[in-house]
Amino acid sequence: MSRRIKSLQLRLTVELAALFLVASCLAVGGLIYSASLTAGSLADRELGLRAEDLARYVSLDGNRKPRLELPPSLEQAYSAAAQQSLFAIGDKDGHLIEASSPEIGAMAARWPQADFEPSYFRLSKFGPLERDYSGVSIKLDSAVGPLSVLVAEVSGGNQLVHSILREFVFDIAWYVPPFVAVALLLAAYSVRRSLLPLRAASAQASAIGPGSIALRLPEADVPTEALPLVVAVNHALDRLEQGFVIQRRFTANAAHELRTPLTVITARLETLEGNGQLSALREEVARMNRLVEQLLCVARLDSVALDVSSPLDLHELAEEVVGSMAHLALSACRTVALTGADHPVLVTGNAAAIADALRNLIENALAHTAPGTEVVVEVGPEGAISVQDSGPGIPAEDRRHIFERFWRGKGVRAHGAGLGLAIVMEIVRAHGASITVSDRVPRGARFDLRFRAA
Amino acid sequence: MRLLVIEDENRLSGILKSKFGDIGFAVDIAGSAADASAALELINYDAAILDLGLPDGDGLAVLTAARRIGKALPILILTARDAVEDRVAGLNAGADDYLTKPFAITELIARIKALLRRPGGVLGMTLEAGNLRLDTVGRDLTIGGMSVRLSRRELAILEQMMRRFGRIVPKAVLEEKLYGIDEEPDSNPIPVHIHHLRRQLDAAGASLMIHTIRGVGYILAETKV
Repeated sequence: MSRRIKSLQLRLTVELAALFLVASCLAVGGLIYSASLTAGSLADRELGLRAEDLARYVSLDGNRKPRLELPPSLEQAYSAAAQQSLFAIGDKDGHLIEASSPEIGAMAARWPQADFEPSYFRLSKFGPLERDYSGVSIKLDSAVGPLSVLVAEVSGGNQLVHSILREFVFDIAWYVPPFVAVALLLAAYSVRRSLLPLRAASAQASAIGPGSIALRLPEADVPTEALPLVVAVNHALDRLEQGFVIQRRFTANAAHELRTPLTVITARLETLEGNGQLSALREEVARMNRLVEQLLCVARLDSVALDVSSPLDLHELAEEVVGSMAHLALSACRTVALTGADHPVLVTGNAAAIADALRNLIENALAHTAPGTEVVVEVGPEGAISVQDSGPGIPAEDRRHIFERFWRGKGVRAHGAGLGLAIVMEIVRAHGASITVSDRVPRGARFDLRFRAA
Repeated sequence: MRLLVIEDENRLSGILKSKFGDIGFAVDIAGSAADASAALELINYDAAILDLGLPDGDGLAVLTAARRIGKALPILILTARDAVEDRVAGLNAGADDYLTKPFAITELIARIKALLRRPGGVLGMTLEAGNLRLDTVGRDLTIGGMSVRLSRRELAILEQMMRRFGRIVPKAVLEEKLYGIDEEPDSNPIPVHIHHLRRQLDAAGASLMIHTIRGVGYILAETKV
């Protein structure tokens, strides 16, 4: 069961239900058993009393022979036609005095002498009606001396048991199902209640990510049984955070340390007079410079919570970024443009980060479009900004992946490291902003960002 | 022309020295904040390049100290691209321009020259970009050595473009400069002037052209696209 049912609540309910079922079965079984015991002893006593009754009506007749004289009411009860009750009475020598029917008389004659101790017996399919009887045979003192009395009654004793059970079901048992239901509900509720802190902990756990490694699961109110797990998870998170911090510091330091030698190499290369190979080398170094900048950017975004609370003018920011990238675009034989609103568009965020995001989107667009085309940045009202190009567009199946770190599209010439859009996504996320990718009509890709209006 | 390079990275300062030497600058190198402050106090440099990350102290302290003792020389600071605050603090403390590392030496030289060409700067009044030469006093333009005649408004626009060669000139800046000197109400809008200017530069065989960056402004750059 434990292997199949994972829910504690369900498991407890099912197990409790099984327990209640077994307990009720046992109780009912026990009740039937004791009821039939009771019924049996009642029947036995009744038989004994009737034997004594019969013995009382035996007296001596004129010939000093014992004979039975029943009052009319008993006469009827023992009437041969009904065959409901049978009796046979013999004297101390075993001679039959009287019998309710010849069959029982014949049978009693074959039996050994009765004792003062009652002996109970059963007859099955007896008599002309082939009915089952239970009876007693006992030796009793009477006015005419010791008598052997045999009394039998049709076994219909179950009726008593049935009536006892019926009584029980109607008087007592009806409240068992509601009680069981309430108990089960209570169990389920109590489990749910005591697991609530665990739900809170899972909500917290799902918020833990590379950007929020300092979060821990709440230990307060967690049930004692689950506490060791929560504490252990928190300790594990502590260790992970340490490792993470070291890793990040390493990335940041490494990128930072790479910068100076790269500046030197860039400068040296510029001072060299050269041929085509040299310009290829320069391009390569420029690429490396960009990569190092992006790595630093990623490391920074990972390690420092971005302050996204300053009001800023998206239009002014876009103007600055587009202006600053104009020369880069022109030297790559492409151009950039700014369209849309020409009035301030106020949003709340981090200007440097949004500028970084925009720069990365533009660099990305420039890298994936043909020479002579234009990359358009459009600022809309309500904090919307988009970057549109006239390149091949982004295939629908790639759109889920383009924001992953180091992801690069197939068949796209290896240009960057695949960090640009990941940086954009981090920044968008830190702002609680949204980004969507779509096709531009008639051709090209379109990135739409929407920031919170100030 | 005497230039002070305040930079603790020897290899970089070596390259700067040789490169600026090539175009006729005398370059001194200071490798620490202390050396830099001493040098600035003793010698009247024409310009300085200041790396903000120095081993013995903050480059900003050097900057403020120099301004406090009345040194008005143009100072360009070098910062890391991610250190926006440094950049802002540097400009607030009296820096004239900044470049982020890693940078291109040619851009550094262009920026330093531009600083020296500012009104009151040491470099004469001649602007140079590509094969264009503009005497800002005589209002004289030569392209590839040939004299070219332009209208006053076109010259004013070209001057702005040459002062910010390779960098964007926002429309608003051009409007401001133009209507400052030319108050004729019926004057043509800027795109018309740019159009004329472009045609004349092209006709005169200029190695540069004015590119329009829609929605932002204009940029003077190598003839491409």
